[in-house]
Amino acid sequence: MQLTPAFRPFAARGRRTVIAILATLAAVSGGSVLLSTRATARSQHRAAMVEVAARQRTLAERYVNEVLLARSGAQADPGYTASILEQSARVLLAGGEAPEVNGDDDEADVTATTDPAVRGMLMQQQRLVHDLAATGHAILTHGSVMSVPLTADEQPPERNPVDRLRVLAALTGNVALNASRTIATNTDHNVTRLITLQVTVGALGLLISLLLAWALVAATRRQTAHFRSLVTSSTDLVMVFRGGKCRYASQSVVHMLGRPERELLADGFSALLHADDRALAASMQTSGEPQQAVLRVLNRFDEWRHLDAHVTDLREDRHIRGLVINARDVTERVRLEDELTRQAFHDGLTGLANRALFRDRLDQALARSVRSQEMLSVLLVDLDGFKQVNDTLGHDVGDQLLQGVARRFDEVVRPADTLARLGGDEFALLLDGAGETQAEAVARRLIESVSRPLVIGDRELTVKASVGVVMHLGGHGESEELIRHADIAMYAAKDSGGGAFRIFRTAMAQEFGQMLELEHELRDAIENGELKLHYQPEIDLTTRRVVGVEALVRWESPRRGLVSPGDFIPLAEATGLIMPLGELVLRDACRQTAEWRREGVAAEPFVTWVNLSGRQLSAGGVSEVVRRALDDAGLPASFLGLEVTETAIVPDGAAGERARAELQELHEQGVRIAIDDFGTGFSSLGQLRRFPIDVIKVDRSFVQGIEHDARDAAITANLVTLAHALGLVAIAEGIESGGQLASVRELGCDLAQGFLFARPVPAEELGQVLADGDFSALIDAPPTVAGI
Amino acid sequence: MRWALPCAALLCLVALALTGCGVAVAGRASAQTAGRVVQVTERDFKISAPAQLGTGRVTLRVHNAGPDIHELLVARVGGGAPLPLRLDGLTVDEDRIQAATLGNLEPGAPGVTRDLTVDLTPGRYVLFCNMYGHYRGGMHMQLVVN
Repeated sequence: MQLTPAFRPFAARGRRTVIAILATLAAVSGGSVLLSTRATARSQHRAAMVEVAARQRTLAERYVNEVLLARSGAQADPGYTASILEQSARVLLAGGEAPEVNGDDDEADVTATTDPAVRGMLMQQQRLVHDLAATGHAILTHGSVMSVPLTADEQPPERNPVDRLRVLAALTGNVALNASRTIATNTDHNVTRLITLQVTVGALGLLISLLLAWALVAATRRQTAHFRSLVTSSTDLVMVFRGGKCRYASQSVVHMLGRPERELLADGFSALLHADDRALAASMQTSGEPQQAVLRVLNRFDEWRHLDAHVTDLREDRHIRGLVINARDVTERVRLEDELTRQAFHDGLTGLANRALFRDRLDQALARSVRSQEMLSVLLVDLDGFKQVNDTLGHDVGDQLLQGVARRFDEVVRPADTLARLGGDEFALLLDGAGETQAEAVARRLIESVSRPLVIGDRELTVKASVGVVMHLGGHGESEELIRHADIAMYAAKDSGGGAFRIFRTAMAQEFGQMLELEHELRDAIENGELKLHYQPEIDLTTRRVVGVEALVRWESPRRGLVSPGDFIPLAEATGLIMPLGELVLRDACRQTAEWRREGVAAEPFVTWVNLSGRQLSAGGVSEVVRRALDDAGLPASFLGLEVTETAIVPDGAAGERARAELQELHEQGVRIAIDDFGTGFSSLGQLRRFPIDVIKVDRSFVQGIEHDARDAAITANLVTLAHALGLVAIAEGIESGGQLASVRELGCDLAQGFLFARPVPAEELGQVLADGDFSALIDAPPTVAGI
Repeated sequence: MRWALPCAALLCLVALALTGCGVAVAGRASAQTAGRVVQVTERDFKISAPAQLGTGRVTLRVHNAGPDIHELLVARVGGGAPLPLRLDGLTVDEDRIQAATLGNLEPGAPGVTRDLTVDLTPGRYVLFCNMYGHYRGGMHMQLVVN
């Protein structure tokens, strides 16, 4: 089924109606003319007929006179008259050309009539003419008039032939006259009927035309109303501009802008436009170009609405003669787009610019710099200690901390500078046109801005900012490279202890590059097993027996040779490689110790000491790792000792608590705990008490000076005393000479470790070292030789 | 559908006009008759009617059987003398018998029947058609009222 559209173009329907009206009028007029023509033609025939019929009466009387004249001997031709009478009577009945009478009459065409009454009269007339002529003939031939047969039922008196003739003539004339009158009357009636018919038809035609016209007007009105409601009820704003002035504005403006239509007329619309859009709108309103634009218009509440305006040039259209602007409110869309753009280029957490926007701004600044040769600086900021906050207090606190830091930073930068969060705890700042002095000042302000504690919830948190600064001195530059250099400078700042800034120098890049290389190699080394454990014995100074070893990791790089732990351990800590490295060491040490135990090399009390990094502790889960290593190796916990530095256990708060709990747990299972490098940190005695410690290792720096420096000796003595006071064992590290050994013995150290006894050796050599080593002799010998 | 209403209105108008005419025609056809009705037939050229009638009001129902047009006059005559003629010798001089004329019907077309009501008193009457030549052509008859 085909659906008719609800709305058909006006032109088609209107044209059809107009055609219908015209056709009706044409049909009516044509019919009328046809009727008139036919009626006129018929009337002409009738007129001829009336004339011929009427003539019969005269002829009949003339015939009587001529008969009488002829009978009396006068010159007359009644026979001729009789023949005309008879011919005429025939023609009146059958139609044809009526005869002329002695040239008096014009020839007349007669059409036979169909009216039965008239035909009856004409037939009677024909009979009477016949009787008249027969009677006249009888008189002229002196025949017997009475014997002439009469055919028309007439009963004239018989006594006088002339009377009979006159009566017959009278009857003939009368019936002929009656026939002609009837024809005339009929014709009159016909004319009247024709007029009535024509008036009726005309009236009907007029009525039909009026109805059609009325329908046309109704349709037009409906369509106009249809258009009007389309225009007025549309949410689009429709305006017509003529000569740059607004001539029409649709009602939708009330809804769209909260203003009445009249407010937009003339220059009203232009006055409501945003100043920046006026020139554009003026061009649209006068020339129709551009055809589309988004214009900002002030609504009743003094808010800017964004209208998507399209121009249609109808200046050539004689119904409009202007430019039609269709405008749709796209404020929400524009807002959404703005919001999406903002989201695409801003960091959702802090509202600062994101990496993409920062890169964009930096690229633009660099492009400008090519032309202007202006300087610019990029500052990269990383928060020291943020990771711990995130790990220990949770991401919520971490996020709030980032927001707080972002606010602090934002307060100290100029609005023209681009402050961005690149991700994690990494921020970046672009200072356009700033020299080194200014950049330094800003870096200081950034660092200082976070030096005051941030209040997050009910906590006061302190973070430090490390800032890397890179200068671009104008000309060509790569944003990528600048950011990388700033990153190196920032790393250098972090490396120096954090809470400081460094300005990028070319040498840094080299150093950094080497470091990256080293990191890469270290990663491979862990996987390839290039890391090996060496073990250094620890001697009980009382029993002179080896009571344990310290496991020390050695990296034998195929490229670099033996790499010192001092070179790669900090790198491993900085990069997080310390986690897999630490686990490797633990597992290796446990496995090896278990082997020694089976071989009888290590007999209780024997402890293999493994160094635990602060990072391993603060990350959590160390007890689990230790537990697994012990289980996998099948080693009793008492054979394993963990050395932790003071700094690793000092951190307060949840991380410190968790580390302490984990150590406590391990300690309860039998694992020994030692404080490494004791005396170099800042541990308070109170904290020491809270930790499950078995052993204190006196730092080698004190041991080295013990012979000659009274202060070192005093410190060592105190440390040993402290250890003993707490019920702990004291170990002296780094014993290299007999003198040092004698001193530590004197000061009461329980155990000693150092090159004097044995260097760290591979596991397979330890048995030999233990067998060969005559530690008793060393211990008892006078302090004269310093062995290496 | 769009034209249904206007068309219906138009048809109604036409129908109304036609029925109006019909009513008017019917109204004209009604005529009043009273008393006895006597058939009178006229034809060329003879009048047929009863020769004798009783007194009183009588309605002559006159039928023209044609083919010519005829009229009818009713005149009371004394003594059976012929009606006076005009100088042409062919038509009755109606002026001279005006006082004796009871009624007449104007010339009527063939095929038409018309009524003529007359009050008859005892006497002799003539019924005739006085169209040119008809009286003398035979269109008259005597009527005796008792």
